[in-house]
Amino acid sequence: MENLLSNASPHSETLIEERGKRIKIAAEVGLARSSGGRLWARALRRRLHRQRKLPQQACIVKNSTPPLMKEVPLVADVAEEKDEVEDRVRALQRLVPGGEEMEVERLFEETADYIEALREQVGVMRALACLLDGIESTDGDKL
Amino acid sequence: MEDEIHPLLHPAAPSGASFTALLGLPPSRAVELLHEPTFPSDPALVDRAARFSVFAAASSAQSTEVSPPPPLELAKKRKDAGSGNGKAKIKKGKPAEEDTDGENKLPYVHVRARRGQATDSHSLAERARREKINARMKLLQELVPGCSKISGTALVLDEIINHVQYLQRQVEYLSMRLAAVNPRIDFSGLDNFITSTTTECGRLTIGNTKANSELDPQQQQPVWSEVGVSDANQMNNSTSSKRPQSQLPQNQLQQFWHVDLLNAQNHLQPSIWAQDEVAGSTVPLLVFDRVNPVEPSIQSNQQLKMEL
Repeated sequence: MENLLSNASPHSETLIEERGKRIKIAAEVGLARSSGGRLWARALRRRLHRQRKLPQQACIVKNSTPPLMKEVPLVADVAEEKDEVEDRVRALQRLVPGGEEMEVERLFEETADYIEALREQVGVMRALACLLDGIESTDGDKL
Repeated sequence: MEDEIHPLLHPAAPSGASFTALLGLPPSRAVELLHEPTFPSDPALVDRAARFSVFAAASSAQSTEVSPPPPLELAKKRKDAGSGNGKAKIKKGKPAEEDTDGENKLPYVHVRARRGQATDSHSLAERARREKINARMKLLQELVPGCSKISGTALVLDEIINHVQYLQRQVEYLSMRLAAVNPRIDFSGLDNFITSTTTECGRLTIGNTKANSELDPQQQQPVWSEVGVSDANQMNNSTSSKRPQSQLPQNQLQQFWHVDLLNAQNHLQPSIWAQDEVAGSTVPLLVFDRVNPVEPSIQSNQQLKMEL
């Protein structure tokens, strides 16, 4: 029994990190598939697909700032205000998968759906984590 | 009434005459008027732009019984006109009333123009577009907690960005937590699964996948069709109860996160355990249709116990 428990090998930290990454990918796949029709979901799926094939390169692609930033005309009229808002819109574009190719209107739409989907995903994962935590503790007692 | 308005809108009317005509308008009708030294040459365009504007759409819900005085945008009349309304928008002097004659269709639907703003077709389209963007922004504001109090586009966007980042961080954190929580669940088969999975079923497995590649996605379909959508309450109860399970071969340890592709609904709902016809064993499934948010089933408990 204890052997099973001490499954944790000396380099378990890296193992956990590795697992964590894979779980995260799994979560993202789930996320993307839950909202198939959405632009962000499609972009996310494309990104995941790339990561699968070229894990290192895909990472670089993902993290780099996109070369082209579409000029985004905005609501604010004052010039300074406009800049501030534009900065934030660009930041949002980077956050939402596929956002760089969207214009503001679409971006906001997609962001709303993305937020909802993320929330659900987090809920699922949290529930699962609690569940497994509970299992672990009960099993621990019995041992 | 319409007869009174028409002369106002026709380009021929000199500003002086229109002013007096406006004075004569009965307050019983809420009318938005374009303020313009020269009226747009194409009222149809104005009409169209206004219809497409969110503004017009929002205001059509208003009852025509509400009778604020006609919102004259002439400088002198501004205050008087605005006083009848409870709302007051501060932004750039844009009039706050949003009433339109939704039911009594005037030949001209009027888009509210900001003071001193041009109302040629270009700017009108621009304005309509901006209003759409504003509407989306409001939606986002409502979605993000605590955002509705904030005023100012940039700050609101800040909040939205923070929220998205927060959610993404949560996913990261929970992934790590899940990885750490139970080392006995083997996620090594994940890569395998991702490559072999089809998009039809949209399933995602976290677990040992010796059997994964053997599982034909199509054969798995009947499994899914058997999987009914269980009641939220039912699932909640099941988390505390422990259902007896048939034997689970060690190499069949699988957990699925399924999110239904075809389902256009927006909530999560947990699934039930289903017999895996191919493997002939009970496969624990955590299936989430976006239907109702509920706790996942506790089947994994069983198989973990059996591992011991």
